[in-house]
Amino acid sequence: MTAAAALLAAAPAFAQAPSGKLVLYTSQPEKDAAQTTAAFKKAYPNVEIEIFRSGTTEIMGKLAAEISAGQPGADVLLIADAASMEILKGQKQLLAYPGARTDGLQPGSFDADKTYFGSKLITTGIAYNTAAKEKPTSWTDLDKPSYKGQIAMPSPLYSGAAAIMLSTMTARPDLGWKLFEGLKANEAVAVRGNGAVLKSVATGEKAYGVLVDFMAYNAKKQGSPIEFVFPKEGAPAVTEPVAIVKTTKNEAAAKAFVDFILSDDGQKLALAMGYIPAKPSIGSPAWLPAGTKINVMASDIAAVVKATEADKVRFATMFGN
Amino acid sequence: MTLADPATLRTRVEETGLLWGLVGLVALLSLLPIGRLIVEGLAPSGQLSATALGKVMASPATWTATWNSLTTAIAGTILATLIGGTVALLATLTDIRARNAFTFCFVLPLMIAPQVTALAWLQLFGPSSTLLKLIGTAPPLGSRNPLYSREGIILLLGLQYAPLVFLTLRAGLRALPKELIEAGLAAGASPLTVLRTVVLPLMTPPLVAGIALCFVSSLGNFGIPAFLGIPGNFLVLPTLIYQRLAGLGPGVLSEVAILSLLIGLIAMAGILMQDVMLRRRDFRITTTSSAARPFELGRWRRPVEIGLWAFAILVLAMPFLGLLSTSLIPAFGVPLNAKTATLANYAYVLFEHAASKRAFVNSFLMSAGAATLIVLICVPLGYFIVWKKSRALRLLNLAAELPYAMPGVVLAIAAILLFLKPLPVLNVSLYNTIWIIVFAYLARFLVLGLRPVISGYLQIDRTLEEAAQIAGAGLPRRLVTIIFPLVAPAAVAGALLVFLTAFNELTVSALLWSSGAETLGVVVFSFEQGGDSTYASALAAVTVLVTVGLMASTSLFAQKLPQGVLPWRD
Repeated sequence: MTAAAALLAAAPAFAQAPSGKLVLYTSQPEKDAAQTTAAFKKAYPNVEIEIFRSGTTEIMGKLAAEISAGQPGADVLLIADAASMEILKGQKQLLAYPGARTDGLQPGSFDADKTYFGSKLITTGIAYNTAAKEKPTSWTDLDKPSYKGQIAMPSPLYSGAAAIMLSTMTARPDLGWKLFEGLKANEAVAVRGNGAVLKSVATGEKAYGVLVDFMAYNAKKQGSPIEFVFPKEGAPAVTEPVAIVKTTKNEAAAKAFVDFILSDDGQKLALAMGYIPAKPSIGSPAWLPAGTKINVMASDIAAVVKATEADKVRFATMFGN
Repeated sequence: MTLADPATLRTRVEETGLLWGLVGLVALLSLLPIGRLIVEGLAPSGQLSATALGKVMASPATWTATWNSLTTAIAGTILATLIGGTVALLATLTDIRARNAFTFCFVLPLMIAPQVTALAWLQLFGPSSTLLKLIGTAPPLGSRNPLYSREGIILLLGLQYAPLVFLTLRAGLRALPKELIEAGLAAGASPLTVLRTVVLPLMTPPLVAGIALCFVSSLGNFGIPAFLGIPGNFLVLPTLIYQRLAGLGPGVLSEVAILSLLIGLIAMAGILMQDVMLRRRDFRITTTSSAARPFELGRWRRPVEIGLWAFAILVLAMPFLGLLSTSLIPAFGVPLNAKTATLANYAYVLFEHAASKRAFVNSFLMSAGAATLIVLICVPLGYFIVWKKSRALRLLNLAAELPYAMPGVVLAIAAILLFLKPLPVLNVSLYNTIWIIVFAYLARFLVLGLRPVISGYLQIDRTLEEAAQIAGAGLPRRLVTIIFPLVAPAAVAGALLVFLTAFNELTVSALLWSSGAETLGVVVFSFEQGGDSTYASALAAVTVLVTVGLMASTSLFAQKLPQGVLPWRD
């Protein structure tokens, strides 16, 4: 027996090791996307992974054009929110992967039909400038008169996370549209995206902002005068799901990518980048005060997808001039 | 002349060949993407259907956005024309000092991407202002920023595009024979009368060209209304389109295509008005250069100089200092002082981040390539449009506006629809290469090169070229030896506009880039989106510095170039 044959016999898994080209479309920030692909290359050296990185809006636009021309360019997607995935699933563009390892994942973080799987948890809470007069603890605090003219939030017309937040919160009887009417009365400003909210709050243009957790904490770590709270009613979350495109020409490698993202190593990578992993057993990021039990606001994604268009229109009319 | 005359025959063949070559090329660049979009709008997935059209027309949002687009574009154009026109007249026709330095500074804001300008001005007026904090006069926490409004958008559009009017008008003013002005002054007319009765009438073509460019640019601008309009839910057509894409349901592409065509129609109406204005008179002048400054300001010289410089510094330095101060802090909201200032952001984008380094090379090559090709296309194109009055090309001249007026995202989508499958016959795929971006740049920025060239032709007397034709010089030879040198100043002004705009653009490449073919705009946008604005600012600042360096270094061998070629040199 030659050494090579011995190796093959010893490691049957290597016999079908995926290889070839794999194209990933992702909306991860620049640095994270580079780290994700590097780690995947290490785990699967025979797969040549190519990446296209842009905002979720641009990615969906590019995909729609490619689908329209009859040839989607991506094999796998890793984008911000489940609602976009749900739209693609509705258009029959996603491949179900029943064999995916979902044990240990946060319940509800993946699609019941196994077409997309949450990779992490990005919650939205309230950030405030350290010079702010009040210390908010709940969503309804934002409706208090003392907050008037001091609030920035991401526009659901631009941010996928904000759109999910809007439809999740308005569906809750204790918050509902009343909360947003209060925000309107308090002259809250809807800026373009989470990056713009961070700027607004960190620079003191506004004292309070509706913002995603990791952005606030990363800025704080670098010295920005900013604090963050998980409101007591719960924090709406997006899961940055991964999915396989139905037309993929390299199913083996695409499945390997999903496996990698959901594996312990992939989850540890998310943790190292400063995110809350989808697998609670992996641990929680350094910025999360020890023992914090995040109360995640449950989202019924199917209901969110149904409501989102009407909700966005209502939001736009409300915050219009 | 008989057909038997071989020289005439050769000339005819050359001209006709060149003409139809140009017709094919311009059709490829403008009609093809537009045609593909029309198909998408009216027959999504291959079946004719008017549902998308009906949906768009019935939506009140469409008409609100159209109205907002019209008002901001028109008012922004008026503002830009007043600023750019006044400054061009003062800087070209009077005896102010340090004219080169001033012109250089006034053109620079074109180098700063609109979204950066918007952010800088927002920061400047808000309580967050790093600058105002520096001098301790920042407004209190939570003050409302006055720029979040229709007026704010108009103000920034006017400031952003004033250099466009300035550049086109200045190229025209340089060709104005000083004898005309001197004759008027000698006959006892006041400077203002001379301006009104001699200068402005002769300057109609470049002025109108500048105004038209301004209008189309304002109409298609995305960065400024996105940052200033969204917070007040003030939508214009480009931001409405982006939103529709964000809400992506089925059939959204056809709606987006129809909304883009609507922008295109408004732009075309603007260009048709320009044609009507230019059709009535003859604007030709015979000389090509006038170094003299006929208007002496006398005791007004110093106040005028101070006024011009104050304005240039306000418009240039404000955004740039905002950018610079953000690029030097470790994180947002940290005050800038000797203790906090850091070069870490620069180190990261220049040495650590591989994509930034690649993007510099890519953006430079693609922009320079697009600028060169566009000039090579525009010089013969202008010749046929203005001097030969070719009907086919006059119509295509209108079509060329479309790819520039519609949002970059939409042009990118059209390019994807066109080039996703390998090209028929050749069987080469442009998709996921730099060539698809180069194609999009050529289609989008053709107009920027063409407008100044056309206004140049309107100003030049044909006698020289006709003499050469009678002496038997063929068209290619006339183009190289006579026509190009005559329109060179205008052509180079156009090339410069193309280069600066392409070097900074983001919306086209946001959808078309691929691993290894990143552009600077894409990398800045990526940082900005992930909340890494300090990196974004550092990279943008380096971009501006590199361009300033390039412009300054071309001035070094200005003596060797034909007179009037560099728009910022005398």
